[in-house]
Amino acid sequence: MISLGENKEQSDMHLSSAEETIQRLLFSLSELEQLGQTLISGHSNFNVSSKTYLRITLGTLQVPSGAILCYHSTDNYLSVAASTPEIETNQIEIEPDEVSCLLESPLVELHSPPEDLQDFIERNSNFLNGNEMHHLWVPLKIQDEFLGILSLGKFLGRAKLEAWEQELLTILAHQISIAIAYSRNEERIQSEKFRLFMLAESAPQICQLLQPDDAAEQVVFQAVALLDANMGALMLIEPQHKHLELQYVFPPELLNTGDDQQETDNKLVIPIGDIDDKSTETETPTSEEMLVNVVKNGRTDQCVSKLDTLFGGSNLMAGPIQGRDGDILGLLVVGDKEVRGGSVAEFTFEDETLLDSFAKQAGVAIENAHLHQEALDARLLQAEMEEARKIQENLIPDTLPDIPGYEVAGHYEPRGPVGGDYFDCIELKAGGWGLAIADVSGKGMQAALLMATLRAGLLSELTSARGREEDKLVDMKNELIDMAMTLNSLLYVSGTEEKYATFFYTHLNPETDILTTLNCGHNPPLIVKNDGDIVWLGEEVGGLPIGMFPNDMVPLIAKFEAEQIKLESGDLIIYYTDGVTETVNIDDEFYDEERLEQLGKTCSDIDASQICELIYKSVMDFQGDADQFDDLTLLVLRKK
Amino acid sequence: MANKFDIQIRAEHEYAVLETAGYLNDSLGERLSKEAQELIEKGYTQLVINLDKTALINSIGISILIEIIEALDERDGTLNFCGLSATQERTFRMMAIAKYAGIFPDEKAAIADF
Repeated sequence: MISLGENKEQSDMHLSSAEETIQRLLFSLSELEQLGQTLISGHSNFNVSSKTYLRITLGTLQVPSGAILCYHSTDNYLSVAASTPEIETNQIEIEPDEVSCLLESPLVELHSPPEDLQDFIERNSNFLNGNEMHHLWVPLKIQDEFLGILSLGKFLGRAKLEAWEQELLTILAHQISIAIAYSRNEERIQSEKFRLFMLAESAPQICQLLQPDDAAEQVVFQAVALLDANMGALMLIEPQHKHLELQYVFPPELLNTGDDQQETDNKLVIPIGDIDDKSTETETPTSEEMLVNVVKNGRTDQCVSKLDTLFGGSNLMAGPIQGRDGDILGLLVVGDKEVRGGSVAEFTFEDETLLDSFAKQAGVAIENAHLHQEALDARLLQAEMEEARKIQENLIPDTLPDIPGYEVAGHYEPRGPVGGDYFDCIELKAGGWGLAIADVSGKGMQAALLMATLRAGLLSELTSARGREEDKLVDMKNELIDMAMTLNSLLYVSGTEEKYATFFYTHLNPETDILTTLNCGHNPPLIVKNDGDIVWLGEEVGGLPIGMFPNDMVPLIAKFEAEQIKLESGDLIIYYTDGVTETVNIDDEFYDEERLEQLGKTCSDIDASQICELIYKSVMDFQGDADQFDDLTLLVLRKK
Repeated sequence: MANKFDIQIRAEHEYAVLETAGYLNDSLGERLSKEAQELIEKGYTQLVINLDKTALINSIGISILIEIIEALDERDGTLNFCGLSATQERTFRMMAIAKYAGIFPDEKAAIADF
């Protein structure tokens, strides 16, 4: 029997309990409303709001400790989003069947878990037993998508939750699930928005770059950021060598130079062979084969083999880069796609589409930059050629001096790019005359400068010492050999390995009619004797071109030699460069020495100037419409 | 661009500057987030993020920046950005980040705004 007083006390207690419940519900509803507004307003990042959700849940249900664990489906792990008290923990791995079990369970009491979760709880016993926050788990889910776990510690002052508290817990868990899903969805939308903005922004940015290296670098940077990748590379086709050549890789230290790769000038290259040959396709291609196939097939692909020794990265995806006319210029590679949390993910179909779109813009940008560079190079080359031409023309004498008892004439005809032909006839201070003809290797400014060096060296030699011993015939030969050695040394230190000159020098003593000649790898001049006999001068003693080897190596290969002949009245000497004998006609035939010889035999009754004109006309007639790229130089000497 | 990740922090009396260097991806972003959270926990509600040495930002980096904005917003704090490239600034404006955070040309201007 209960007394009236006791009834009142009990009644007051019940009222107090009901009031407290109402207070807790009001608190909970008010906080939930605030969170709902936060969610709608776009401030939805669960990493930020998780602590508030946990605080409301624990406060409403009067539970002193608990945690919210978020599930990451890409890598199958749980992470602690919020906890009371705060704890530091690493990723908690969870198997797919354990996730399935949690999806089917409305609540999990940790002291009596379902069989399928026992292994998980054992594996993570250190984490779960080390604190008081894991007493009851509420799986967080939206329909069939598992999102995480709301974990509650022991309840304050009671062994279990009241029925209405359990219902409230279900509502709170659902709210938390909505917040996680909303946050992830918002993050996905933000991410896609960002990538689309980047795609739109990157096009004008990379298309403004006019240097191919800058364009390559920016294309790789933008692709890496656009695809959430951690590595990227640009390889372009080098059509001449039929290979893909690395233009830029990010980060540079990723480049792995294994033995199975071919490298040229420290650049990674991959041979591609015939672009139409599809024979390299295999079921499980290596990363190199995959890249070659992307170029050959013209479509984006991913490396399924994961044997990515090429850049040291993993999970590669490559897309072809096309020029305006649809030609494949090369490919763009990205790898190591990352997801939040630091793990590597596979590229998706959307990623492939994004790379395709970006590669189209990249193709235009790269083509623009290369065209700009080519135009600049062409302009620079043209300016250099004009300068070189001026230098060369200044070195060729306008007129030749009169040599008593002799006729002398020269002809220089520039054809095509600037070459390095030279001829001269110099009166020597010590008496006598020096006749020189030379052909410097190469074209353009370098050839013109090398020729200028040769001429300066020759003039220096002739005005200083050479020719002093003109009456001692044997010594004159040595003088010329010494001069050749001096000029050889001068040109060798002036030029590169590829820069040298063929050179023929003649010392003429008009009083004795003795010619002392030196041939340094030049075309032997033609002598047409007064009786019609033909002699090729210096043919037997042709030494090395000057400047090709250092002086100490010259005697070991082919030392310079000089020879002497005596001219008679009517004898004719025709000096020439290979622009004469190597002129080709439209049938690809050479003008050659034989035609020159035949023509020389017909020149007995005409003077040196006319002989030059005759030979020049003959060569030009022979050439016809064929292209010619070498200068033509003639020097003719006749003893009256 | 070298891929050297780094974060320099200059905490003054009323504000703190976080200066990043390198690709703002998950790795650098998580470090930035952790440093920012620690500053917020210490009571800093006025932060500057200087991106002058960060030429590249991916979508994960952006989401982390948004997270920092929201974390500061919860404490009625302010985040100002500076050192953005023209492209980054346009992207930030298009992403509406500029609605919730200030964008300034340099650190001095970003700090002066507080």
